[in-house]
Amino acid sequence: MDASYSIISVTGTVLLGLIVSLWLPGIERKFVHARIQQRIGPPVSSPGLMAALKFFYKKTIEPCSPLPRLYNSLPIIGFISALLILLFLIPPMYTFGALASLVAVVGFLKIEEVIYVFMGSLSRSVMSLRMPFPDLARGAKHPNVQRYFLEDLSAMRAFRLIAFGSFPIYIALFVPAVMAGSISIGDIVAYQAANGPVLFTLAGVVGTVAFFIGYMILLNEYPFAILKTKADVIEGPYMEYASKYRAFVYITRGFLMFTLGCLFSVLFIGVPPNILSWGILVNLAAAVIFPIIMAVFSAFAPVFTFKQFYPVTAAASVIGVLALVVAFV
Amino acid sequence: MDGKREIIETEITMGTVHSAAIEPYRVRLFVEDEIVRDAEITVGVNHRGIERIMEGLPVEKANSLTEKVCGICSGVHLWNSVLVAEKGLGVEIPERASYIRIIVGELERLHSHLLYLAHGNEVLGHETFSMRLFYIRETVMELLRLIGGNRVQYGVPIIGGIRPRADLDEMKIQRIMDGMDFIEEKVEAFAERFTSDPMVMSRITGVCPISRKDALRLHVTGPTLRATGVEFDLRTEMPCYDPFEFEIITQDGGDVRANLLMRVLEIFESIKIIRQALRDLPDGRVVDRNWEMQDTGIVKSYVEAPRGRLYHSYAIEDGRVRGSIIRTPSMSNIGAMQYACIGHHITDAQLGIVQCDPCFTCTDRAIEIIDLNSEG
Repeated sequence: MDASYSIISVTGTVLLGLIVSLWLPGIERKFVHARIQQRIGPPVSSPGLMAALKFFYKKTIEPCSPLPRLYNSLPIIGFISALLILLFLIPPMYTFGALASLVAVVGFLKIEEVIYVFMGSLSRSVMSLRMPFPDLARGAKHPNVQRYFLEDLSAMRAFRLIAFGSFPIYIALFVPAVMAGSISIGDIVAYQAANGPVLFTLAGVVGTVAFFIGYMILLNEYPFAILKTKADVIEGPYMEYASKYRAFVYITRGFLMFTLGCLFSVLFIGVPPNILSWGILVNLAAAVIFPIIMAVFSAFAPVFTFKQFYPVTAAASVIGVLALVVAFV
Repeated sequence: MDGKREIIETEITMGTVHSAAIEPYRVRLFVEDEIVRDAEITVGVNHRGIERIMEGLPVEKANSLTEKVCGICSGVHLWNSVLVAEKGLGVEIPERASYIRIIVGELERLHSHLLYLAHGNEVLGHETFSMRLFYIRETVMELLRLIGGNRVQYGVPIIGGIRPRADLDEMKIQRIMDGMDFIEEKVEAFAERFTSDPMVMSRITGVCPISRKDALRLHVTGPTLRATGVEFDLRTEMPCYDPFEFEIITQDGGDVRANLLMRVLEIFESIKIIRQALRDLPDGRVVDRNWEMQDTGIVKSYVEAPRGRLYHSYAIEDGRVRGSIIRTPSMSNIGAMQYACIGHHITDAQLGIVQCDPCFTCTDRAIEIIDLNSEG
């Protein structure tokens, strides 16, 4: 009975997460961006579900990459790391101890971040190729300089994101841990069951602000889209993905949105995702509300350069540290 | 800064076809830690040979071909090309035709400036502003369709005046008046939101500036020149604009902010001119057909296109065009686009280029073919 309960709970929750996550990009685009921009927008199923489905049936083409197999496998690795985070947030999985802890969550999130460095450095789009002869049309100002692909640039930017941009969310993750006195997900949930949600404390509110900014940075949403700014490295690391690999890129983004929403509801509200409990509605609400708020912010923001990005990240990190200090007090 | 003396290690190439660039042009950015140290912009991949096709065509047929140079300021190309013939043949046009030409010209300026603002905001990453500006621009496009019958190539000027179908009746005048009210209200609202948004201002203030001295040195033209503080507008030298009161807008700094605001303020001046033209529209004919074709030498004509000084010239022999030359404003501004990027972040480089309102496809006026084999 216990084993079947666990199996149904885990598989059911993951399946529900997958289904909901396929609609999140559509909700973001259709019901927020399009409404604000006074246009009709795409059908709600298009960006997350139908686009992914379509790409599964497209012809697979070989990317222009020095290691095409590794390059193609990266979106799948990203999806698996997001899946593992969700998996170990589900109560029956708390028996796995170390894997159901904040350290594991941080580790899986780091995998998700690091893959962009590899994606960028392994992509070689034709759009940034040098002509196969000296460019003499205007006299070739600097004929023999080292060439960068635009995606190399996005790899370096992904590295900077890991170094600076991810501070706010990682600091915010540890606010509930400080209050619960444990990094175990199970202990944090149990603490909130006994003492009420962390969200309704001062540290929780301040930590939520840092978490939300970190959430936007992690998802590379405007104005923090330095990884794929339209002006220079459009699409950035995703440039060469086609067919089913591009489908995985789409699915992973939606799934990460859902997973981070669940992570918030576990750490700040104390409700873990479980399809066999009414609490799943709280998880769904968090998973839907976060993208909607994010879409509102992004619709009214230009894209940041590092000049704006660093101060905002630093301020968000300070807010996170403040939440930690309040949590200690 | 002399880029050739620098030891530059890294090149970032974009194009000639790139999703971030609307038109086919090639940008080579020579960077150090994402700061642009030198830049090179190359055109020449979209040469359509319009001057060559014009060679030997009957003048009116050749004139209508010039509309195909640009999909944004098509009307001003036709206007200028017709002006060349009128200057050469000594044709005087009816006053009503002159007014309607100006209305169409200023509507085109509105359409071009709104497109520029929308594109600028798109490059800035502000999709919402961009979409709303396109929404405002739609009204201008519909007004142009109302007058000329088409949204892009309206074919209004002909030698001796304008096409009779483009004459304005009461209904059209009222629709244009209403359109001006709508555009003015919407652009005012946009300007208020735009200038009070700290995130937007932080992204554009002091970015890629061109000084007044450098603008003159680089032969910058049009609103990009006026954004550096130089008070020069060819409309003040065109006799057809004499009856109208308008201000020459200038801005200081020549940065992205100045360029964007420049176009916003020019929109209000264009609305002002259109209202005056509609209010004082003279009665009478719109075309004078009492002229005779004759041979002319090379005749030159300059007009203030939405992007700056536009040059057309050709000679007429046996009623046919000979030696046509067209130079678009972007040709003058390419040097400034390259210069503006230097010393700025690579993400700002595209903004630096876009701030000069480039139209590279229309700039592709000449092509040079180099046989590499013969050079050894």
